[in-house]
Amino acid sequence: MSRFTRRDFLRIAGAASTASIWTSPADAADKKTAAKKSAQVVVIGGGFAGATCAKYLKAADPSITVTLIEPEKKYVTGPLSNHVVAGVRKIENISIGYDGLRKRGVQVLHDWATAIDPGKRRVALKSGKSLAYDKLVVAPGIELKWGAIKHYTDVAAVAMPHAWKAGSQTLRLRDQLAKMRNGGTFIITAPQNPYRCPPGPYERASLVAHYFKRNKPKSKILILDAKDAFSKQALFLDAWKQLYGNMIEWIPSSKGGIVTAVNTSRMQLDTETGVKYRGDVINIVPPQTAGSIARMARLTDDKGWCPVNPLTFESKKFKNIFVIGDSAVAGALPKSAFAANSEAKIAANAIVAELQGQAPAEASYINTCYSLVAPDYGISIAGVYRVTAEGISEIPGAGGESPKDADAHFRADEAKYALGWYASIVADIWS
Amino acid sequence: MKPGAFRFVVVALIIAASACQTTPPPSDPSTPTVTPTAPDTKPAATSPVVKTVEPIKPITPEMARNLANNCFTCHGPAGKSPGAIPSLTRFNASDMAVRLKRFKNGEDASTIMGRHTRGYTDTELEAIAIYIAGLKK
Ligand SMILES: Cc1cc2nc3c(=O)[nH]c(=O)nc-3n(C[C@H](O)[C@H](O)[C@H](O)COP(=O)(O)OP(=O)(O)OC[C@H]3O[C@@H](n4cnc5c(N)ncnc54)[C@H](O)[C@@H]3O)c2cc1C
Repeated sequence: MSRFTRRDFLRIAGAASTASIWTSPADAADKKTAAKKSAQVVVIGGGFAGATCAKYLKAADPSITVTLIEPEKKYVTGPLSNHVVAGVRKIENISIGYDGLRKRGVQVLHDWATAIDPGKRRVALKSGKSLAYDKLVVAPGIELKWGAIKHYTDVAAVAMPHAWKAGSQTLRLRDQLAKMRNGGTFIITAPQNPYRCPPGPYERASLVAHYFKRNKPKSKILILDAKDAFSKQALFLDAWKQLYGNMIEWIPSSKGGIVTAVNTSRMQLDTETGVKYRGDVINIVPPQTAGSIARMARLTDDKGWCPVNPLTFESKKFKNIFVIGDSAVAGALPKSAFAANSEAKIAANAIVAELQGQAPAEASYINTCYSLVAPDYGISIAGVYRVTAEGISEIPGAGGESPKDADAHFRADEAKYALGWYASIVADIWS
Repeated sequence: MKPGAFRFVVVALIIAASACQTTPPPSDPSTPTVTPTAPDTKPAATSPVVKTVEPIKPITPEMARNLANNCFTCHGPAGKSPGAIPSLTRFNASDMAVRLKRFKNGEDASTIMGRHTRGYTDTELEAIAIYIAGLKK
């Protein structure tokens, strides 16, 4: 039941009409010169989390000087990178530049952050520059835990790509699959939770199966999993049977799925039970931690991720530093581009509130992870989240997976919406 | 009259009322003056004074923004979608509120909007609609 007063209505509608995400840069510049002394916010990382935060900071308060530090001139998205692996999309179509953010008044520096001094509130850059900040946003994504699987190093990742940070690794895996003989075996390993994109390894297996079915139909796909259950499991298993027969075999941890070592010269994997698997193409999705800069700055806990205040995403380790995206411990939220976007908006508004001496507004988060089992067969999992005594928690009764018994139209619609979501989130952030 | 239609009328009324309003209403701001929608749940028989089962929590403009910003991840910046997901720009606040509540109650079929709208109170859905419809097009 609603209790809106006319006054409430006018205040909300009024807030919207002055919301400045759509103000022109000229408006923003006017307001900026009018401000006494502009607050300095530095954002490390121009991925889904950092780039969203930079844009929404500028939108909420154009007077703030927002500096985004990102080494890459073109950011390659994890979402839809499995399409590139399967050869159904070009990498150029998932690569995005930063001109849109510059037009919004964000200062973009293509550089690396190398150190953070939380006492002096400064960030050191690889180029030798150093930046002062009032508030710092740390959004460096993930680092791969080299060596957690024995002998799996950055050198081994040439022969056995991870392709879990999109870019050259994505192309390497795509090319290996393209060269593989018909009748070969593709092995993909999946790590224990938590990791970036929980349904990602299974979506990748699906789209590779789609590619094999059309191009190398005698081939096999083996998933060696460090877990006994995975995201959207029933939907995936059902769809695999229906679309790919017995092409995909999933080996859970209890049936010997835990990989302990790699041997690149033999293209072989050792497992905990002693069984060895040989593959023609091997894709290791290794265990992960928060991005290196977060660890160097001691923003991480003993598990390697950054604990934060669930209402604002301010670090629990240092004041005035906010950690968002895959690096953060975000309660029930998964490590997804969608969640990163949601977290970044809440953090941006909390930072602006703090700079203006106000309390942050109540936080609200959502997530939807679409997976493509085939280009015309989509499934999804959604959640709506609020902050409770336990931290960021899913609202019971909301969210959940696509229905198990949906027809082909429903699956096709969700496949269409998966691509629609991609177009929208990219526009929401980088345009 | 279907509940959705009833809500439409009431929400439309406040919008009409607010459109005529050039200055804030003179009433005490802490006293709710308009109740735009019918209660979701019947009052408990034993205590006729209970007006609602939802906690009455004022929704500030800042909270409305926090709620509504989440919509743009799928529906595009300011609700303007560049792809296959419908834009929100064609809705006024009352139409959007009605539609959101119909998704929530299962009156309108959806692939995913039902799953999302069930995470909000009716009041929150209305605040989202008012905020998004109020954005500059
Ligand atoms: C195969 C695959 C499929 C996926 N599919 C989906 C999907 O369908 N939906 C979904 O929601 N999510 C998906 N994801 C997950 C998504 O990619 C991540 O959750 C998301 O990228 C997290 O955003 P982030 O900003 O935290 O990290 P990132 O996107 O990794 O961004 C971090 C950025 O920080 C920069 N950086 C790192 N260190 C520094 C430094 N020291 N100084 C300056 N910059 C630095 C990096 O260059 C990078 O650009 C997928 C991931 C993969 C791998």
